[in-house]
Formats: sequence, structure tokens, C-alpha cells
Amino acid sequence: MADILAETVHPDDLKKFEKIYHEQLYKNDVTPKAQFDYSWCLVRSKYASDIQKGIILLEELYRTHEEGRRDYLYYLAIGNARLKEYAKALGHVKAFLSIEPGNQQVLTLQQTIKKKMEKDGLLGMALAGGTLLAIGAAIGVGIRLAKALLCTKI
Amino acid sequence: MEENILTTLKILIIGESGVGKSSLLLRFTQDNFDPEQTLTIGVDFKTKILNVDDNIVKLAIWDTAGQERFRTLTPSYYRDAQGAILVFDVSNYSTFTRLGNWLDELDIYSTKNNIIKMIVGNKIDVQHREVSREEGFAFARRYQTLYIETSAKTKDGVQSAFEELVRKIIQTPGLWDSFQNDNIHVGGNDQRNKSGCTSYCTLT
Ligand SMILES: Nc1nc2c(ncn2[C@@H]2O[C@H](COP(=O)(O)OP(=O)(O)OP(=O)(O)O)[C@@H](O)[C@H]2O)c(=O)[nH]1
Ligand SMILES: [Mg+2]
Repeated sequence: MADILAETVHPDDLKKFEKIYHEQLYKNDVTPKAQFDYSWCLVRSKYASDIQKGIILLEELYRTHEEGRRDYLYYLAIGNARLKEYAKALGHVKAFLSIEPGNQQVLTLQQTIKKKMEKDGLLGMALAGGTLLAIGAAIGVGIRLAKALLCTKI
Repeated sequence: MEENILTTLKILIIGESGVGKSSLLLRFTQDNFDPEQTLTIGVDFKTKILNVDDNIVKLAIWDTAGQERFRTLTPSYYRDAQGAILVFDVSNYSTFTRLGNWLDELDIYSTKNNIIKMIVGNKIDVQHREVSREEGFAFARRYQTLYIETSAKTKDGVQSAFEELVRKIIQTPGLWDSFQNDNIHVGGNDQRNKSGCTSYCTLT
């Protein structure tokens, strides 16, 4: 499943922008740019703790730096979706769309999040219950997903 | 159709803000055009399955933001790309003069040294051109890249641009391999699960 939520940051990038941020933090002079670059890496990390940190930094930017708000909302949605905080993620998407209703990129993100939610929901149910195919059929899931579920079971 | 996919190719779209990168991608993937297309935030992503000379390939396309404030991070998306589309706007000369910088940036950050580059002159539907076809073509020849002109608005050249790029990638030995089914690695054992799947799941 290749999508914007599955893509992860390269460790070198995370290190590089972490260093810049920390240098500025040490001098007590963090620019919104350094904080944003670092958060952009953090929310794409493999580790939940990094993503959480990224979200905190983005929320702070959102409160303090008005110009960049659409950027921060977008990456807040991505970070929360990657933590499976779907309600929050969709909340950010909604806030964005209330200002820019036709934004293709954000509409696509909304779809991607909903798809992932659906998939997670199905996976959860399937692992709890026994009759995989029946569930799959009932919800009208495609053969490919049913196959994937069968596989994880085996 | 998915079963017969030869490979997944990572394609990159770069260039100045407003030249029509996202519009080209929207035309190519959804056959649509938005006159009010908004500027990209960071990086956007779309996939499309394409058949070129009976080779079915999956394209993972990364559409980068041209705005200055995103430039520190967009180069990290150049990693492992097999093809790069460098877009300029034929009705805006400064977007053409900036192509050199984009080519330099590509040389610095792309990890595959035989990456296929294509220069695309977009917005040829616009009445007043500032860059002629000859000039665009000469530039591309000097830097040994492919060259094509398009209009995301009228569809002109869009499909052929992607097809031409993919054709060239497929013809380049060592640039891609057929085992690679997905360019995005979420976890290390992802691949194994997938191949295990095909043998178990023929039942359904
Ligand atoms: N007339 C005409 N307008 C176009 C064409 N392609 C794009 N546009 C318009 O040009 C503007 C910018 O297009 P985008 O696709 O957002 O540009 P971009 O390169 O993705 O910009 P960034 O995301 O900031 O890097 C939009 O208003 C589009 O509708 C074209 O072929 N012809
Ligand atoms: Mg764009």
C-alpha cells in the first residue's frame, strides 16, 4: 500500500533537521522554518514517539505562526493519521477544507485517511472473529483484501 | 492486471512554483484540470498503472512543491527515483532560466546516477509564449535530457510525456528491477509476506 501515510523519513534527514532545530533551541532562537522542517521529518518517522513530538511542535507553530497555518494543518492531519488518531486527523482536514474547500491535495488526503480507517477497522474485526470470508463478503471487501486477510491468518 | 505488473517506478516532478506540476499530474492520473489548482504543500503523491509497449508498470509519482519554503526538504524525495520530470512554463521565461538550478539539484540529491530526466515545457495553450520550442529543445539537447511540450489544460502531450519517460527507463539496464514491487518500505518483512501470499491464496 503505497501512499502519503506509508512513506517514511530517511534517518539522515531526521538527524540533520533535528540538529538544526536543537542548535537554535540552545540559542533560544528557534525559527518557525527550523521547527517546521524538523516536525515535517518527525511526523514521517517510524516511531510513534517521534510522531507525537512532531505533532506537539506543529500545534505550537499553529498557535504562534499564522502565516504557515495551512502547512501545519496538513502535516498535523498526516501525523495524527499515522498514529491512527483518525478523528483528530479528519478534524484537521475538515478545518483546512472549511477555508479551502476545493483543495485537491487535501481532498486526496481525506480519502486516503478514510481508506486506511476502513482497512484498519476491517483488519481489527477479522482478527477478532473467525469467519474471515463471511465478514469480507458482508462488507463487500474486494477479493484482494480478503486474500490479504487470509494470509495474515495463516 | 495488478498481477502482471513488471515493476514499480518512482517518478519525481520538480520545477518552479506555478508552472503546472500538479496540474500535469492531475491530468495524467484523473484526466482532469482545475483552473484554481492550489499550490502544493510539501509533497503530494499519486499512483497510476501504465501500459507501455505491453509492459505494465506501476508509477509512484511524487509531486514536489516549488515554493521556496519547502525547498529544504523536497530533495529528500529524490532518493531512489528512476525518472525526473523538470517542468517550466513556456509563457514565463524566468521558470526556464531556473531549469539549470533544478538540474544541479537533481545531480546532487538523486541517488541513481543513470536517472532519466525529461524537460517539459507546459502551458503551450497560452497565447503569448516567452520560450520557443527551439530554445527549449536546444537546452534539453545540451543537457542530454528528453524534451516534450504539454498543456495540462488541453491535454496536449501529457500522456506521451509520461509514456516516453517510462519507455526510456525500461530501456535503461540496471535502473530498475522486476522484483521490486513497492517503492515504499514500511517494514522489513513486508516483501516476504507478499510473496508468501501468492502461494497460499490461490484458493479463493
Ligand atoms: N493555461 C494553462 N494553465 C495551466 C496549465 N497548467 C497549469 N495551469 C495553471 O497554472 C496554475 C499553477 O498550476 P499548479 O499545477 O498548481 O502549479 P505547480 O507547479 O504544481 O505549483 P507548486 O505546487 O507551487 O509547485 C494553476 O492556476 C493552473 O490551473 C496549462 O497547461 N495551461
Ligand atoms: Mg503543485
